[in-house]
Amino acid sequence: MKKVLEVKNISKIYKIYKSNFDRLKEIFTKKAYHKEFIANQNISFDLFEGETLGIIGVNGAGKSTILKIIVGVIESTSGEVIRHGRVTALLELGTGFNQEMSGYDNVYLNGTLIGMSKKEIDKKINDIISFSELGDYISEPIMTYSSGMSMRLAFSIAIFSEPKILIVDEALSVGDAHFAAKCTQILKKRKEQNMSIIYVSHDLNSLKLLCDRVILLSHGEIRQTGSPEEVINSYNFLISKLNEQEENMQIKQMDKNSFGTFDIEITKVTIRGKKSDSTLISSGENVTIEVNIYSKKELSNMTIGIMIRDRFGQDIFGTNSYHHKLNIDFNKEQAYICSFDIRLNIGAGKYSITAAVHSEDTHLENCSHWLDHATDFEIAGVVGNLFTGICRLEPNIDFKKVIK
Amino acid sequence: MRHNILLAFSFAKRDFKERYVGTGLGQLWYILSPIITIFIYTVIFSDFMKMKLSIIDNSYAYSIHLIPALLAWTTFSTILMRLNTSFFEKANLIKKINVPMYTFQLAIVLTELFLFFISIALGIGFLLIVDQPVTLTFLWMIPLMLLQTLFSLGLGVILSLFTPFFKDLKEAIPIIVQLWFWMTPIIYMKEMLSHKYPFLLTYNPFFYFADAYQDIFLYSKAPSLNYLSIMIIITLLSLFIAGFLYKKMVGTIKDII
Repeated sequence: MKKVLEVKNISKIYKIYKSNFDRLKEIFTKKAYHKEFIANQNISFDLFEGETLGIIGVNGAGKSTILKIIVGVIESTSGEVIRHGRVTALLELGTGFNQEMSGYDNVYLNGTLIGMSKKEIDKKINDIISFSELGDYISEPIMTYSSGMSMRLAFSIAIFSEPKILIVDEALSVGDAHFAAKCTQILKKRKEQNMSIIYVSHDLNSLKLLCDRVILLSHGEIRQTGSPEEVINSYNFLISKLNEQEENMQIKQMDKNSFGTFDIEITKVTIRGKKSDSTLISSGENVTIEVNIYSKKELSNMTIGIMIRDRFGQDIFGTNSYHHKLNIDFNKEQAYICSFDIRLNIGAGKYSITAAVHSEDTHLENCSHWLDHATDFEIAGVVGNLFTGICRLEPNIDFKKVIK
Repeated sequence: MRHNILLAFSFAKRDFKERYVGTGLGQLWYILSPIITIFIYTVIFSDFMKMKLSIIDNSYAYSIHLIPALLAWTTFSTILMRLNTSFFEKANLIKKINVPMYTFQLAIVLTELFLFFISIALGIGFLLIVDQPVTLTFLWMIPLMLLQTLFSLGLGVILSLFTPFFKDLKEAIPIIVQLWFWMTPIIYMKEMLSHKYPFLLTYNPFFYFADAYQDIFLYSKAPSLNYLSIMIIITLLSLFIAGFLYKKMVGTIKDII
């Protein structure tokens, strides 16, 4: 595959000075007057043609810094970025819009700024306006636009400038569902036409849906690179660790993603269809999911939760004892079984179950054990009426003559 | 580089087109404001205050002395002041779009240069009205104006590079520019300074430009070789220093604005 972007050993060190005068002195003298803050350290990756690369990390991990260096708006302290083609970035909403000019004029202004020629804009302006769905608003000044409207315009310009590499930094989050779907669609289409995308978001689901590969940044360094599923699980671990006061978290080295304090351990998770008595289950069948737990410590007010994920790693359904107002106390050195009886009204496909024991309603508080991919099952065949899609709603269909 | 310079031209064109968008008179303002300047100084100084200069045989001699240098100063000071704050004004853009700062600075200078030509053309129009001879020597105005604009570009860029470090400069520069104006023989005659404080003329780069313009307007006299070489040297020097500092400082500036 062809590389479109090469990021080589990028480091960005912000120098912190007591005053700007010290900063100026340092430019012209050899003496150092600063303290250092490392925003990016030794970051290297390649982006290939037609690939969508996700970048995640907690706030302050250095995501925006590396994007800005790739775009070229700030300079790296060391390292090199090689771009093989036009890079267009949606770093923030309405970047480069003149608030007093009309949307139409701003297409020209913004278009020139990101490197389109006037001819190119003339050719594409109708597509841009129709994609943005601004209609007659296009001749109104930008300051009258809502944030969603300026985002739509900015996105339309960016996508029709047909960059080799498009960088999207959480900009899509302000659009409504309709436009978000439209964006995802056109991003996929452009991807087929070999555009590469770097996508930064905290929306884990959209990362899983769009990205081929995800990079996890932590403290300015690349912590992990890999498939969306696997990296997002590590990210989950990372944010739970952030919330953990004590340093007694650990990762159990298994092939599955498993972390927590292990005061209480999930020993086994099973799923069985009531009728099929196996892990091959029909849609609409009742199943029992059993979570086997062994408690080493006495702990009260805990929560046991499960999550069903599809093969893309998308969360399909999750619940826990907290939401069901079930109080759970553990005794020392004692085994427990927590069973969930569920009617599995979900579509055909392969699924996995994640289980966790923690306090409160999320695993961010005192996570005792989080176990991804605890077990698998497959849905095939349907009990009752056939349907398509990932979930089964149970409609009543009525048909009658209209009598005037 | 070429793309960025072309971009500067298109920004200048846009800036020029859009500055008076929404005003009733629109682009007429470009002509109106120098006309009003010329009118004020003619009516007030020549007609009301009867300021007469006996240096040439024209009852508007004082206005003729005043107009070219005043219009040139207007351009000069506008460029300095606009460049001085340019990093702050474009902070939003340069932090998000990869367009180098000098593109925006060049665009400012190009717009002002164009307006400079318009205002000087109107000034020459005024000479025709008051029967002051306009000769081929006036063509000297073109290279002089270009030199002056390049000089202000260099000086303005140097200022703009230091202003992000010392925000006080943002306030101080307009005051310094005003002081500079009064230390240059624009409103008054150079003879008033040359006896008492000759160094104020020798070390004032703008004096050479003002004096050259006045010579052309009043006496149709081409600038001397001496003056020309001084103007060229200070212009090249300012551009060279500006280029050197720009390269060194622009990366850091992006981190602090």
